[in-house]
Amino acid sequence: MAIIDLQNVTYKYPLTDAPALKSVNLQVHEGEFVAVIGPNGAGKSTLCYTIAGFVPHFFKGELTGSVEVAGSESSKSNLHEWVLNVGLAFQNPFNQISGAKYTVFEEIAFGLENIGVPREEMKSRVEDALKLTGISDLADRSPYSLSGGQQQRVALTSILVMHPKVLVLDEPTSQMDPIGTREVFGVIRKLSEQGMTVVMVEHKVEWIAEFADKVVALHDGSVLLEGNPQAVLTSDLLTDKGFGISRYTSAARKAKELGMWKKDKLPVTLDEAVEGFSLTPNPSPQRRGE
Amino acid sequence: MSLNRSFFVPTQSFFHSRNPLTKLTFVFTMIALAFFTLPWMAPALILPIFVMGFIGKVQKQYLNVIAKLILPTITFMFIMQSVFLPDGPTILFSIWRFDVSLETVRSAFLTVSRIFVMISSFTLLLLTTHPSELMSDLTRRGLPGQFAYVIISTLQILPQMQAKAQTIINAQRSRGLDTQSSFIRRAGSLIPLVGPLVFGSLVEVEERAIAIEARGFTSTHAKTSLHDVPDTSVDKAIRWLLVALVIFTLILKLWPS
Repeated sequence: MAIIDLQNVTYKYPLTDAPALKSVNLQVHEGEFVAVIGPNGAGKSTLCYTIAGFVPHFFKGELTGSVEVAGSESSKSNLHEWVLNVGLAFQNPFNQISGAKYTVFEEIAFGLENIGVPREEMKSRVEDALKLTGISDLADRSPYSLSGGQQQRVALTSILVMHPKVLVLDEPTSQMDPIGTREVFGVIRKLSEQGMTVVMVEHKVEWIAEFADKVVALHDGSVLLEGNPQAVLTSDLLTDKGFGISRYTSAARKAKELGMWKKDKLPVTLDEAVEGFSLTPNPSPQRRGE
Repeated sequence: MSLNRSFFVPTQSFFHSRNPLTKLTFVFTMIALAFFTLPWMAPALILPIFVMGFIGKVQKQYLNVIAKLILPTITFMFIMQSVFLPDGPTILFSIWRFDVSLETVRSAFLTVSRIFVMISSFTLLLLTTHPSELMSDLTRRGLPGQFAYVIISTLQILPQMQAKAQTIINAQRSRGLDTQSSFIRRAGSLIPLVGPLVFGSLVEVEERAIAIEARGFTSTHAKTSLHDVPDTSVDKAIRWLLVALVIFTLILKLWPS
């Protein structure tokens, strides 16, 4: 059974004419890691807010269709109950810092204080979460003294510590360096393997191809494509509609036109590209820069 | 931009280990004694409070506050009140058309000692109490969580807004905004700052609201607190003693009449 079930969801923000989501259908199974891609204004963030309950409870506006997460129906639920099942972290880390806490440790404990977790359990959960995302060394720092990437990790950790069943992430690695991004993707992958359901908006398609189970491509408020990462990310439709695609895909597509790419499938990651290109008649494995 | 966002001085002292409510009671007791009881009370409290700065081991910061904030304020008030209050019968000396009388000097002295006691006791509270501790203790005692959040986040966000204003000024300046010529032109050049700062802050408020909501801020569960703020029998005794002191001095004041 799907843990996230969106049926024919259409949503309009207050004071706007055009709907931000148009008849969106989306089913996500428990433990699945789903990546959402799309150009600006495609409705990615609105989709996140919808799953996380902020649409329509926080933003108001007009929602039709049904949103069901973990067996309960959004329209019949309260936001403060909803957030116990669904964790949301979004892009701007600075605005996700509560502003009421003086250290990272306290900051991460903030959510647990709110939902009334006993002190001893709180401490061990915060310590575990810090270890999980690799920021134990920041525990005593002020959240405001951190870099953007570190703050993003803090924001992610403060949601993870609440042990949500569904994790919704809106570009959680936008301010991180490649090493940080890999670590965070690794952590999220691990959590998803342990049964947490993850919906993540992300532009870094090569990472998606490597880590996600499924990709949903949003365009102009509706689902354009949905399926396994390889198939979706190499689809011709994406380039036509202005999606950002992997440079390996672009290169291989060019190569295909010139008859230099012999495989059926186009690559998304470096490894796939390397593997494909080595099928050419003259396989000299001298790759530059390696 | 300072990263230190509270006045709190982390050290160990008798004052530091008191419960925040005890210190709050102390502050309001001092104010009550200085303002509402016998007139000799405020001057009499100056020395004890001054000594408490040393007991709390925050004398360095406390003397700093006295030198930079309290002394200038009370000196100014003392001079103004001595000169401009309606004169009493005992004229001490005259400056131009203004007479300074013994009575106005007395009354000015009373006012400034009250101000001294008030600011000093608040300073001692802030220097020896971590804001999170104060708030978690008060929340535990029934202060609404939203109220505590507003107070403590304002304390933290002000320096943030300051830093952001500076960033906007620098950005505008790099695009040719004049911020260094005459006063009028500089005042005019503040206008382009207001839009980004105010509207930007409003957008931030929405995002921050989402962020804390996502972390169960409006949850109906009883909140717990990471920090255990001890409330000892010594604290309780001190609080009752302070309350008794206020009542006692009030009785002293009202008795003869």
